[in-house]
Amino acid sequence: MKINPYLILLFFSTAIYGPIHGQNAQTLLEKMDILIAAPKDKEADVLMIIKDKNGTVKEREATLKQKGKYKKLYRYTKPEKQAGIATLSLPDNVIWLYMPAFGKAIRISLLSKSQAFNGTDFSQEDMSGIPYSERYEPSLISQQNDEYYQLELLPKSKKSKYTKINLTMDKNHYYPIKMEYYTKGDKLMKIAEFNYQKQGAYWFAKEIVMTTVLKEHATTIILSEVKFDQGLSDAIFTIENLKKEE
Amino acid sequence: MVLIGTLFFGNELKNLEIDADIVRSLPDDDVDARLLKKIGKNFGSNNMGVIILETDNIYQPSVIEHIQLITDTLSEISGVSSVSSLTNIINIKGSDYGIEIGKLVDEYELPKTALEFEKLRNNILNNPMYKGSIVSEDETASLIVFNIENDANVNLIAKEVIEKTTALQIPEKLYYIGSPMLVTYISDLMRKDLTTLLPIAFLVIAIILLLSFRSISGVILPLFIAVVSIVWSLGSMAFLGIKMSMISNNIPIIILAIGSAYTIHVINRVNKVRLEEQHSDTIKTAFVYVFIPIMLAALTTIIGFISFIFGSYLDMIVDFGIFTALGTLFACLLSMFFIPAILSVLNFKNNSSKAPKDDSFITNYLLQPLYQLIANKPKTVLLIWLLLIGFSVANLFSIRRSVDIQEYFKRDNPTRLAEQIMVEKFGGTKPIFVHFKGNMQSPAVLKKMLETSAYMEKSPEVYTSMSIAKLIDEINYNFTNSRTFPQEIEQIEQLWFLLDGNEVLPRFVNEELTEGIIISKFKSPDNKSKIEFAKYMNRFIAKNSTEECQIQITGMPFVDITMDQSLINSQIGSIAIAIFFVIVLVGGILRSLKSGFFAAIPIIATIILLFGFMGLTGISLNIATVLVASVALGIGIDYAIHIISHFKASFKKNNDVYAAVQESILVSGKAIIINVVSVAAGFLVLVFSDMVPLQYFGLLIALSMVSSCLGALTLLPSLLILMNKKNNQHEN
Repeated sequence: MKINPYLILLFFSTAIYGPIHGQNAQTLLEKMDILIAAPKDKEADVLMIIKDKNGTVKEREATLKQKGKYKKLYRYTKPEKQAGIATLSLPDNVIWLYMPAFGKAIRISLLSKSQAFNGTDFSQEDMSGIPYSERYEPSLISQQNDEYYQLELLPKSKKSKYTKINLTMDKNHYYPIKMEYYTKGDKLMKIAEFNYQKQGAYWFAKEIVMTTVLKEHATTIILSEVKFDQGLSDAIFTIENLKKEE
Repeated sequence: MVLIGTLFFGNELKNLEIDADIVRSLPDDDVDARLLKKIGKNFGSNNMGVIILETDNIYQPSVIEHIQLITDTLSEISGVSSVSSLTNIINIKGSDYGIEIGKLVDEYELPKTALEFEKLRNNILNNPMYKGSIVSEDETASLIVFNIENDANVNLIAKEVIEKTTALQIPEKLYYIGSPMLVTYISDLMRKDLTTLLPIAFLVIAIILLLSFRSISGVILPLFIAVVSIVWSLGSMAFLGIKMSMISNNIPIIILAIGSAYTIHVINRVNKVRLEEQHSDTIKTAFVYVFIPIMLAALTTIIGFISFIFGSYLDMIVDFGIFTALGTLFACLLSMFFIPAILSVLNFKNNSSKAPKDDSFITNYLLQPLYQLIANKPKTVLLIWLLLIGFSVANLFSIRRSVDIQEYFKRDNPTRLAEQIMVEKFGGTKPIFVHFKGNMQSPAVLKKMLETSAYMEKSPEVYTSMSIAKLIDEINYNFTNSRTFPQEIEQIEQLWFLLDGNEVLPRFVNEELTEGIIISKFKSPDNKSKIEFAKYMNRFIAKNSTEECQIQITGMPFVDITMDQSLINSQIGSIAIAIFFVIVLVGGILRSLKSGFFAAIPIIATIILLFGFMGLTGISLNIATVLVASVALGIGIDYAIHIISHFKASFKKNNDVYAAVQESILVSGKAIIINVVSVAAGFLVLVFSDMVPLQYFGLLIALSMVSSCLGALTLLPSLLILMNKKNNQHEN
């Protein structure tokens, strides 16, 4: 069977350069999940800037190693006082904390998903590696705009702090641009703004600003020196390795 | 001019703010007060409100749900920075495999079964951090603690808290306490008092004036002067940016009562001149008669108020003294210069034919018999007074002092009930703060904090205490499974990682980690216990405070001790100052120091009687009743001045002591009685105040007025007769 080369060209051009119209919300969210979890592994330097209502700024720096969706190793480098502290996140919400001053790693269990993590505006629920499409029921609110989709995500679990998330998604590449987190009484609780960049084959959030609206408190996470698919071994994501100071 | 002034100050009135915060009124030159204010500002301790939920048993599914409902409701109020309750408090605890960081209860799966509640109960009991802060030991009360942002409108938020939580209509009893709630509550009471009691006082005085003068001008003019003086003095407060306190809340009623008095004397004298003498210019003649007595009366009253400036501990009492004195000055000036102007404008001469005859009830049935009694039995009158004074002196030493803010409320008041629950079930409400200056991550400083806490908790007055050291100790225990406090600073710095960003942190340490506090509560309202505790703690501090770890202690019990002492100092100081200046002033103006002493006798007797009454009835000396003696002195001396100046003028004219006493009693006595009845009635309206000290304040002032009136009309004339008898040329 002969295939018209123009048709093939048309197929690829739409696949690469333009969205497929009429996609359902579930597919769009799944595409976003695929984009987020695309790299096999990731290494980066992380800068966290925490700013409170009075304008007081605190900075933390860490190195990040990530393999797959669920294995993450943060090793803090700044502030000096907390340098060497490391957290290892493993599947099933298992987190190990290593404090070099005690020479000991201990498993911590963050029981509350809504709890802010370590003074940032990110909760455990926000940082969960579980794909959005598994956690939320999406519906497409608007696709009139040429640049982005508007989706409404309703949590599947009753244990979510959020009653809904309004997601603004890039129409061409399916990465998140903005998420508005609503809580009881349809009150806007937090806003996350993403700056996605492409490096090699992958899109990644170069910068995320999470603002807790009521408290006028914000955390900015900036990634630098990002490397993908370095072939990180599973041995890195072990308690033994956690204790090795780098 | 009066119109312009009234318009100007009237316009300023809209800027007058109410501030019921006693902490803000504490003086900066007192070490305890200064530190307390600093801690309130830097650690947000003044912005902490508490809701007490009371029921038969906290560990029930519906109760936990309601606590969560209240917690969520408070969290949604703009300006509430944090809420902490049984349903959202963070729980860090050790487990078989490490540390669990979570919440005491799962907010999405609240405990329902007996087993789940048993687990929760054990979690609370086993965690020293929750002692006295979450659930009472008898398990019938739970606390929901919230913090209000520093720059937020505390009153508005406190009201919203009450409105929104009341609207939930939950069956458990809710009580509100903590500085924001208390301050808002007192502000509301002040507003209520102002808007309800002032019109009542106005009406009462109007009725008395109408009965006394039986003329419209006799009612309108005194009240008009009082109102203008109130507007001017409160307008001045607003203009100078001074807020209305729970003491200056009395200013309108006081000025209403005393401000009308000067006009009463002017009108009374005008009536008298019209009745007795056919002067071509009645008003001018009357003015000459009353100028000195009114000026003297006003000056002595002003001295009474100004005396508060010296020796007063609270700024609010100083403000009260200044602006009541100013109101008195306005009333005096307006009575002396504006009232004659009005009377002239009203073409007073045309009405002279309608002048009332002096055959009033007061003269015929009260003053005339009184004169007869004094003239016939001056020694008996004197003896009765001496007996009364002796009896009062005997009771004088039973006077109780109280600086407890809770005594401001009636017994069945919800705030007072809340205080009672806090004392009985949560170890009190009076905050104690131990302030540490040093490196808050230093093991030595933190260990010293723990030692201080342990030492404090040995006192029977301290139930529990909380600090960053206790938090670190608890985390360390969970992390290492050992109660040995970390030895290395690095260890503490790293344990801090788990606390970073925690909402409770700014309540215990400053941003730079150079200062920290132990927060505790004091149980007893008793002053002796406070003094003993202060000594107990100061011994420890003197021994343990070092350059690297500077320790200071403050809190309401410490401020109360100073305030209590200042009640005596302020009382003695203000009375002594007032009496001294009154004698000098009256003596100077009447050109006779003897007259000055004589004028002071009835009021000194009144003050002794007043304290005797307080000792006898158990009415305590507090920040409101401490004002009574000087206010009574300032107002009450006027009666003696009127009598003595009248007596002097008459005695000089006729050289007849009996005739002079009779004229003084019959003429000035009438104005005095009208004045006393109207002033006393005005003050008695305060008995309906919602604030207990103000009730006593009103009652005591009214009693003092009656007493000083009786002193001026009986004791003083008796003395004048006895002292001048031998000089009397018309002795019968």
